[in-house]
Amino acid sequence: MADRPTEWKGLENAPLRARLTGADPIPVPKAEPSPRALRAPSWSRAEVLDRLGGDEELLQELCQIFLKESPRLMEKLRQGMASGDAEAVQRAAHSLKGEVSYLAAKGASQAARRLEDMGRERDLSAVSEAIRLMERELDGLRRAIEDDADRTRR
Amino acid sequence: MIAAAPNGILHLGSPEKPRPLDAVLVAEDDPVFRHVLEYWLKKWDYRVTSVENGLDAWNILQKADSPQMAILDWMMPAMDGVELCRQLRRHEGQRYHFVLLVTSKDDKQDVVVGLSAGADDYLTKPFNVDELRARIRTGERILHLQDALIRVHEALRFEAAHDPLTGLWNRGAILELLEREVQLHQRTGSALGLMMVDLDHFKQVNDTQGHMVGDVVLRESAHRMAASVRNYDWVGRYGGEEFLIVVPGCDADALLASAERLRACIADPPVETTAGPVAMTLSIGIVSAMPPSPSAPNLEKLLYAADLALYKAKANGRNRVEMAGISRAVGQH
Repeated sequence: MADRPTEWKGLENAPLRARLTGADPIPVPKAEPSPRALRAPSWSRAEVLDRLGGDEELLQELCQIFLKESPRLMEKLRQGMASGDAEAVQRAAHSLKGEVSYLAAKGASQAARRLEDMGRERDLSAVSEAIRLMERELDGLRRAIEDDADRTRR
Repeated sequence: MIAAAPNGILHLGSPEKPRPLDAVLVAEDDPVFRHVLEYWLKKWDYRVTSVENGLDAWNILQKADSPQMAILDWMMPAMDGVELCRQLRRHEGQRYHFVLLVTSKDDKQDVVVGLSAGADDYLTKPFNVDELRARIRTGERILHLQDALIRVHEALRFEAAHDPLTGLWNRGAILELLEREVQLHQRTGSALGLMMVDLDHFKQVNDTQGHMVGDVVLRESAHRMAASVRNYDWVGRYGGEEFLIVVPGCDADALLASAERLRACIADPPVETTAGPVAMTLSIGIVSAMPPSPSAPNLEKLLYAADLALYKAKANGRNRVEMAGISRAVGQH
């Protein structure tokens, strides 16, 4: 009995915390399948491995570099957007495109190509939406790579 | 034109040291691709230098011992792959660089631009390991062909300017070098000395001991002469047993001392041959052109004066040095 008030207290505060941090306060119902499961796989591990002549060690090393490098490139994209620097957007998108294509990540490649085109054409009118899409694609890819690394480690 | 080279005995047959064909420069700003390239190249036993921008690559490629194969990413900070390629071709001397340009799959038009800028081959991202290996092999093959061509060219150039028996500059080359030094003297007034040297009674060696022994004597004498003079003096075989030594930036006293050292190094010890030791001596005529001179001498005048001095050294008993214009004999019989 003595425990109950403490439990309620936590639940009451949850929506307020969410509002303060700007996150979505509506919880996703557990019963529904996650959107990730419905979508095409983020990357083709087999294709990458083939590209690397079947070298698992190199694959793992590249994934680690990518996990470290991609947030830096995203940061450059955001900075380019914030300062209206189309060339910076083009450069960062180009690098991202190279990396995610190497990892045979179709969705992410398309998102990066779209950003690169915007930068090349010096038209940043739709860039914030394109960056959001890029982020979503990258999140999926990073999760897939991390899962894979976990599996490989086991 | 004769390239500047050490003037002592030159090493016939190996005019150049081997070039590093196993070194590769990787210029790539993206860490993923840099790692891929480094990983494979090292696995295939290449020595890899990698940089992250075009300017650093340019600085390395300008060095004399730079890697001869360069893998350049198209898009790089500071200087992109294509501009780097253009600069490289514009400034390329005899040393050829094989350039493999790396570009993205959907920038096909880039390939034409890249090849026009001077790239030898290209690779599109995402490339697989077999393709990389094949392109590198192509580059290696071309570099080896280029290397062989340069070696033959250099060997021919060497032979064209050197005396095959002694390895000294030949007559044409030593006269060309003298002409160059005379012009420098005329233009700047820098001191210039010339020695005309003759092996005494060489004909007798040939006649009594045979030409094989005569050749040994010539070769050994040439060696000693080249070792006796300074690094920046030029030693050439002028005729049968006659030699010319061009001595730049040297006043009359130093020239005389140098000639005396030369005389002494031949006079003792005798030359060892299959027919036993052969005692040889030198007669040397020297001439010194010193500033200020009322009219700077030309090549013919210098040669004539040195020749006259040599004649005097012969007439005064051989195994001695005579200086043109000054009656001064050094050395003993």
